[in-house]
Amino acid sequence: MKRYLETGNFAITEGAILAGCRFFAGYPITPATELAEAMSYRLPQMGGIYIQGEDECAALHLCIGAALGGYKAMTATSGPGYILYADPYGWAIGCEIPLMILNSGRVGPVSGITGAPGQGEFYLTRYPTQGGNFETIVLAPNSAQEAMAIVVEAFYLSERFRTPVTVLADQLITDGFEDISVPENEGEMEEMGFRKWPRKINRGPEFYPATDEIDIPPVVLGHNTGALCSDWTPTEEGYDIEEVAAHHKHAYRLIYKIRNHRDLFNTLYEKTFMDDDPDLVVVSYGTPSRVVNTAVKKARQMGMKVGALRLINLWPFPDEHFTRKTKYLSVELNWDGQLVREVQRAAPKDSKINFLGTCGDLPTIPDLIEAFTKILRGQSLERRGWELEGW
Amino acid sequence: MKTRTEILASGFGGQGVVRLGQILGEAAVKQGYRVTMLKSHGTEMRGGYVRSQIVFSKEPIDSPMVESPDYFVALSLAAYKAFKHLVKDGMILYDPAFVVQLDEGLVCVQKPVPAKDMSVENFGRPVFANTIMLGVLANLVEELDPGTVLDSILHVIPKYHEENKKAFEVGYELLGKR
Repeated sequence: MKRYLETGNFAITEGAILAGCRFFAGYPITPATELAEAMSYRLPQMGGIYIQGEDECAALHLCIGAALGGYKAMTATSGPGYILYADPYGWAIGCEIPLMILNSGRVGPVSGITGAPGQGEFYLTRYPTQGGNFETIVLAPNSAQEAMAIVVEAFYLSERFRTPVTVLADQLITDGFEDISVPENEGEMEEMGFRKWPRKINRGPEFYPATDEIDIPPVVLGHNTGALCSDWTPTEEGYDIEEVAAHHKHAYRLIYKIRNHRDLFNTLYEKTFMDDDPDLVVVSYGTPSRVVNTAVKKARQMGMKVGALRLINLWPFPDEHFTRKTKYLSVELNWDGQLVREVQRAAPKDSKINFLGTCGDLPTIPDLIEAFTKILRGQSLERRGWELEGW
Repeated sequence: MKTRTEILASGFGGQGVVRLGQILGEAAVKQGYRVTMLKSHGTEMRGGYVRSQIVFSKEPIDSPMVESPDYFVALSLAAYKAFKHLVKDGMILYDPAFVVQLDEGLVCVQKPVPAKDMSVENFGRPVFANTIMLGVLANLVEELDPGTVLDSILHVIPKYHEENKKAFEVGYELLGKR
């Protein structure tokens, strides 16, 4: 394998190519521009196709077209582009089209700050489109090297579940440089744990089964499937229908094919110092989790019984990690508190739920140690810069 | 025992703050270190704020944040003011062409590196200031091999190899022997 100092954008590009991605359509946006740039020269080298869309909405529609033609397809953006996916994302969910969608979080709302990290799309990735009646799969790496592996996993899951999968990174992962190891042949891919699989094709005639079954190859247009792949509620044969009972069958599938097979990806998490029922569980995802890990190790040396839970599988939310009544602290790159709301919902009643937010910059280790100390003493955290209701 | 080396560089867009971090990081990777280099910046290609946070260690790196820099390269007064307080046992290297107001109350070592003026003096333009600063760092950062830093400069910057070699030497010799 080859070791580089490279950006997460480079790592993700290489991961996607290892996964077999041969189609990228996107629209450049910091901090994912270099990913589009890398794809624009890497894909032609691999016999693939790169297209710059006129905007993000068009780009994801182009990806849908490619996936319906049998390509492993992806796009990449940041928050202001991800919101423009709303229409094609819903289309891909409804027609069960596998796609890998990379969102690198920056400071929002809207254009916000380009070159600084944020985690403002925790809920948006759960509800990337309107209408409800669906479940989504979202995975969040915390380094460039892990992003390379998670992207491969996301492609794989997107085909098994026939659904778009979002990989939620942040500006520090995609824009930042890190030492990265890239496999150079199939033996090294296997050694490093990268999957390799062919893109299967469903030649019909069925469009979807009204069950929670997975591992059915994705539908492609043509091949006499007769499938319309339109934006209306489909029949099991793929024709449009506006009928409540048919819609119920379709919605059941979109929700339960994912909910009932969570065991295929809910193992994606990391626990540090969690074996002795810690008095405080620090919950995080993405780059902040790396600072949390260092802070928790330091706190342990100081005698504090603190553990860290890092989520990689964000959605469907892994409630099973929050069965114990204890103190929780959610550390996030936003000021409004998003992940903390799910922790509050999932944890037993009367658990003490705390929130520490920053945005545009990581929390510091002294900030975290101070927060741990206060929470363990039973004090509440003050919100920086203004007072807000306690969590 | 010190397990990681932290370098912070900050200034305006266009000064080469990211390139500087990339070159140091690449040299560290070549020497077998684990490396992270976070960059943050504003919208402007030139003139906006830029910060690089470089960490390298023989061990895997958890937090990629520079919280107690061994070296802080200050290339603007705003950057100096924003991050000087982070330096405790480390050293601040500042370019006096930009950092025109020094906090004499700091306990850490502060060394002027007039890289911009030296670049103009030696090459007739300020563009090699960054390489001069890299020469200074190659001399100071004991964990890095100067030859590897120079190789990384020549790899990352494909043009003006002769000028960059000379600028590196000018910087390397500025603060005396290693």
